[in-house]
Amino acid sequence: MSDSAAPTTSKMFFREAVARAVREEMRANSRVLILGQDVGAFGGSYREYDGIFAEFGPDRVIDMPVAENATIGVGAGAAAAGFRPLVTITYMDFLMLGFDPLINYAAKLRYKTAGALTAPLVVKTTSGAQGQGVAHSQCLEAWLMSVPGLQVVAPSNPADAYGLMKSALRADGPVVYIDHKRLFPTPGEVPVEEHTVPFGKAATRRSGQDVTLVTHGYMVVVALEAARRLAEQGVDCDVIDLRSLAPLDLEHIVASVERTGRLVTVEEGQLTCGVGVEIAARVFESIGPRPVVRVGALPAPVSSNRVLERACVPDPDSVCAAVAAVMSQ
Amino acid sequence: MTSTVTPQRRQRLLDMMRIRAFETALASRKDHGFQLLSSGEEAVAVGLCSALEPGDDLLTGGRSIGPALARGVPAGPLMAELLGKVDGPNQGRAGRGHMSDPGSGFFGAHAVVGGNLSVAAGVALARRLSRSSSIVVVMFGDGACGQGALHETLNIAAKLRLPLLFLCNNNGLSVSTAWDDAMATSRLSDLGATFGMPSRTIDGLDVTTVANAVADSVSGIRRGDGPAFLETVSIRLRSHSTTARETRSREQLAELKLRCPIAAEIGRLGLPSDELSALEQQARREATSALAFADASPYPIADSVLDHVG
Repeated sequence: MSDSAAPTTSKMFFREAVARAVREEMRANSRVLILGQDVGAFGGSYREYDGIFAEFGPDRVIDMPVAENATIGVGAGAAAAGFRPLVTITYMDFLMLGFDPLINYAAKLRYKTAGALTAPLVVKTTSGAQGQGVAHSQCLEAWLMSVPGLQVVAPSNPADAYGLMKSALRADGPVVYIDHKRLFPTPGEVPVEEHTVPFGKAATRRSGQDVTLVTHGYMVVVALEAARRLAEQGVDCDVIDLRSLAPLDLEHIVASVERTGRLVTVEEGQLTCGVGVEIAARVFESIGPRPVVRVGALPAPVSSNRVLERACVPDPDSVCAAVAAVMSQ
Repeated sequence: MTSTVTPQRRQRLLDMMRIRAFETALASRKDHGFQLLSSGEEAVAVGLCSALEPGDDLLTGGRSIGPALARGVPAGPLMAELLGKVDGPNQGRAGRGHMSDPGSGFFGAHAVVGGNLSVAAGVALARRLSRSSSIVVVMFGDGACGQGALHETLNIAAKLRLPLLFLCNNNGLSVSTAWDDAMATSRLSDLGATFGMPSRTIDGLDVTTVANAVADSVSGIRRGDGPAFLETVSIRLRSHSTTARETRSREQLAELKLRCPIAAEIGRLGLPSDELSALEQQARREATSALAFADASPYPIADSVLDHVG
């Protein structure tokens, strides 16, 4: 009997996938550093840096005070001076404290120096509603997508978390990498072989003929559940996981909408100037208008109150309703 | 008759004159754009830079022209950058508020008040991690002292013992607001002392005082003692910017002019008039040829607007 084939994937949680990516990149490149609150011996708020401090020590895994603005600034400066800092910001809501170094400095550095300096900085953060209230729940991806020079990625599964983090730590300019908190308890298969997921490449999670659902992050899970229910009613959904919001894989989306003739965008953030309106506008600029419905949070803050939180953010029912609406157009 | 003034002091005087002549030449242009000049603050930039080594990095706020010249950014390309021409160190894209020339030791300006403080700490962290003996200086004004970014960065720099000099140039006014109307501390250097770093307030109108104080601070930083804070008390002889209205009376301005750091240094050195006018001419010639260099350089082509975005 031949040796049993080595497994090609292994089951991992998000935090394990992130830790693997970071560990591999830190071993390969001594210029990769981690900066943030509780990233050292504690191993990160989500244990996403388990074992990293023990291996790389306090010079490369640097615990910072509660100072999001300066922490991102220190990361941006170290990046401009030749390092590759990975800055952890526990909640995306706190990114606002560091918008000056992230947006006014890091995202513009290459442009304003005509390519002489870049800031290869990765800001890793978390998004999404999970009972933590109005300033710990937001999905602000759309704000970031409008910043020239900034790349924005959001995995929906551990394999992409691993592959996108690897790409982020090799990218030339600043990247915001966003994990959704609700995805953390769900393990997924991650290829054993080292690999990267390139930016600007969406993935089709379910092939269908009737309507295109474009989404990202945890909303991929919600959209797939909606698609499963809709299939029972005879509606066949094509579900696209963006993975990368900037750059956006317009070609992939357009090809699907051309085929299905209908578009539903699903995001957990606000609809006004949101991811969905940007996708719809770009698709229509490319192939002309099609029936579209956008799904997103209601125009209210996301409360920690369980009833109000659930009422605010999309769920499979709201996605099913949107698909029904677009099918009737 | 040859004077007994040391070459170093003569050079510092010349460097202050170079800044004044350069900025005067720039301000005389109709197309000067939005500039923040540093007349009255030349002794700070020159004293500071005369105490730095070639490998050290200087970062500034938006009042960057004097410091950039003092640090050694060549005058012609600097003028080209300020006027938006392609032969500037950043091809005319950055301008006064955001220019950089790391090869000259000028890591860059960032015109968001207080915005460069944490960036400078990051550069200092990079230098320390690289086991470099070079140090980093970040210049900022009294207006930046109310920013949370300063307080966060002072704390981080002190905790990480970064090789960073906080040079707070207190020119007395943040646009129209007097520094002591904005700040609750009795001296701005108290801010550095709070975080346990060597902190001093010195006369920013005497170039030798500035040079000696910086040299003293820098030697401790280079030894590995961690960051230091210097407040230089200076004056601003012009309005906040070339587009901002002056808020002080003629009498107040006339009084301030009597404290001009260049005139003061001339008085201290007692140079013979022929030597003095030779230095003044040299400074003016450099400014004139900087303008000629900038004028000979083209504007960028509009099609380059999307170059180097990401």
